[in-house]
Amino acid sequence: MPQRTLLEVRGLVTAFDTEGGRVRAVDRVDFSLERGRTLGIVGESGCGKSVTALSIMRLLPQPMGQIVAGTIRFEGTDLVSADQPTLHRIRGGRIGMIFQEPMTALNPVHRIGRQIAESLILHKGIERRAALERAVGMLERVGIPAPELRLSEYPHQLSGGMRQRVMIAIALACDPALLIADEPTTALDVTVQAQILELIAKLRSETGMGVMLITHDLGVIAEQCDDVVVMYAGRVAEQAPVKDLFARPLHPYTRGLLDSIPHLETPRKSRLPTIAGMVPTLKDLPDGCRFNNRCPHADDRCRREQPLLSRAGDGHLVACHHWQRIAGEVRT
Amino acid sequence: MSTPLLELRELATHFPVRGGVLLRATGTNRAVDGVSLSVQRGETLGLVGESGCGKSTLGKTVVRLLQPTSGSILFEGQDISNLSRRRLKPLRRELQMVFQDPAESLNSRHTVGNLIEEPLIIHGVGTAAERAARVRELLDLVGLPASAAEKFPFEFSGGQRQRISIARAIALGPKLLVCDEPVSALDVSIQSQILNLFLDLQAELGLAYLFIAHDLAVVRHVSDSIAVMYLGRIMEYADTDDLMDRPRHPYTQALITAIPVPDPTRRSTRTILSGDVPSPIDPPSGCPFHTRCPHAEARCRNERPLLREAARKGSTPHLVACHFDF
Repeated sequence: MPQRTLLEVRGLVTAFDTEGGRVRAVDRVDFSLERGRTLGIVGESGCGKSVTALSIMRLLPQPMGQIVAGTIRFEGTDLVSADQPTLHRIRGGRIGMIFQEPMTALNPVHRIGRQIAESLILHKGIERRAALERAVGMLERVGIPAPELRLSEYPHQLSGGMRQRVMIAIALACDPALLIADEPTTALDVTVQAQILELIAKLRSETGMGVMLITHDLGVIAEQCDDVVVMYAGRVAEQAPVKDLFARPLHPYTRGLLDSIPHLETPRKSRLPTIAGMVPTLKDLPDGCRFNNRCPHADDRCRREQPLLSRAGDGHLVACHHWQRIAGEVRT
Repeated sequence: MSTPLLELRELATHFPVRGGVLLRATGTNRAVDGVSLSVQRGETLGLVGESGCGKSTLGKTVVRLLQPTSGSILFEGQDISNLSRRRLKPLRRELQMVFQDPAESLNSRHTVGNLIEEPLIIHGVGTAAERAARVRELLDLVGLPASAAEKFPFEFSGGQRQRISIARAIALGPKLLVCDEPVSALDVSIQSQILNLFLDLQAELGLAYLFIAHDLAVVRHVSDSIAVMYLGRIMEYADTDDLMDRPRHPYTQALITAIPVPDPTRRSTRTILSGDVPSPIDPPSGCPFHTRCPHAEARCRNERPLLREAARKGSTPHLVACHFDF
């Protein structure tokens, strides 16, 4: 039986050396992703979601960013201890990546065709002509009209949505087992976002790859993901199958997030529920539970002792001392 | 009905597009192209649309940071579209703007107190002591401690900085605030705090807003009426509930269904539009939306639909710029 688990992150700690000393941007994070599924990672700015992705790809800014502890197992290889040749083989080969701003990820002075063909030549050892032919096929698959003509165009000649399609074509050219998408639609208009999300979902079901989708948008999570990890201040606050998370959010932070977004059914001009205060900076994180200074349920224990992830249901994990009490409370 | 606080009549703001070595005008960007809207006292008009639709240009034209090409801007019945800088100055007390990124709109070399006091000094309001009292009052109104006055903008988070720019914008007691994407740079948990602040200030001070944003769920929450803009023109304009419950323009329908709903049990039936927004420099003939419209016919390519009354609820017409009824 083939292994179902594609990616397993255990006890990941990623630290940055800053002028004010060493800060832990990601602090003991655990999660795993199965083949053919989409795992969403959601959280606000500074929660560590992008640093987690950069850690998996071993693309942390050097020399400030370091993985201090933990393992990242991907198809039997520990990426934390892997050497550079192994990483070169995996990145762009078995793991494809797309980012928020395709214009910064694409090379502005190279033609589209060359950029797609490059990874095929590098990873699959195909010769140039055949690689360019495959590139046409890839552009077609990601829904770019007249792909033969696009091949010889430069990134600036394309619209934002088209550039993101090109990024997806590059990421998927070598049939990766895992696609990491970091805020792939945040810079796009909502009608174009719908196109790109539909494309990612379609390609996932065609190829059976696993997708790790990082976003701040709970709407995108609800529509695209099978499982969700909610991160706060570098730690996992809650993790659950998507339906369970939205139906039965247990962490006060998850509840606060879900309640604070205006829905189309929220009474107009009514005051929205809010989370008091703001996200702490990594330099002055509170002791104990990192959410304690914003949490309506916080007590002495929360200020003293860090809650570990505990099992609250099938695949449902929550890092809160009081989740059992909170689970019994009716949400307003 | 009384005179609206703000009325736009066939407002247009065009920019020359320059090209070639000599930077000669080679075309025209019709960023705003014949927009008619009105904002009532104490109410909110939401303006939604995707990037490049002209919504920010419209906002800047309304506060006269940009000069309109044609049409008129009536503020309390007075046409302000051609006023000189000197004659505009007293109007700045009535009409203010809040921008998306407070890190850019606040001068980081001034203390927060100075920043909020500045408009009062420019307009010669009160003595130094009175102004200091007003600054404290404004900080309190926007939910910041009085001690904030001594600090600099960079000492605050994004949400707090947006509170500072709001305090500055309301310092002179304006009647209308033009808000251009005021919450889109903020985190989800902070966004709701600032939206609540806008609602509180409206209730307390009777402010009217022209609320410009791309997020339809946010705009719906704060607005009494909504205008949907596409390529410089209004596609649909109606009472908020009317527009959301019964969108009549194919573009509005697509916009509403494109919003990802944070509820995994509800898989929306979605109209996915093909293609991107065309360039306002060379807009499509006929209906500007016809290149992406699932219902487009020959007539749409040739003839531009005018904004017409498709329905009426009380005294508010439901306007739509489409040849057909959907």
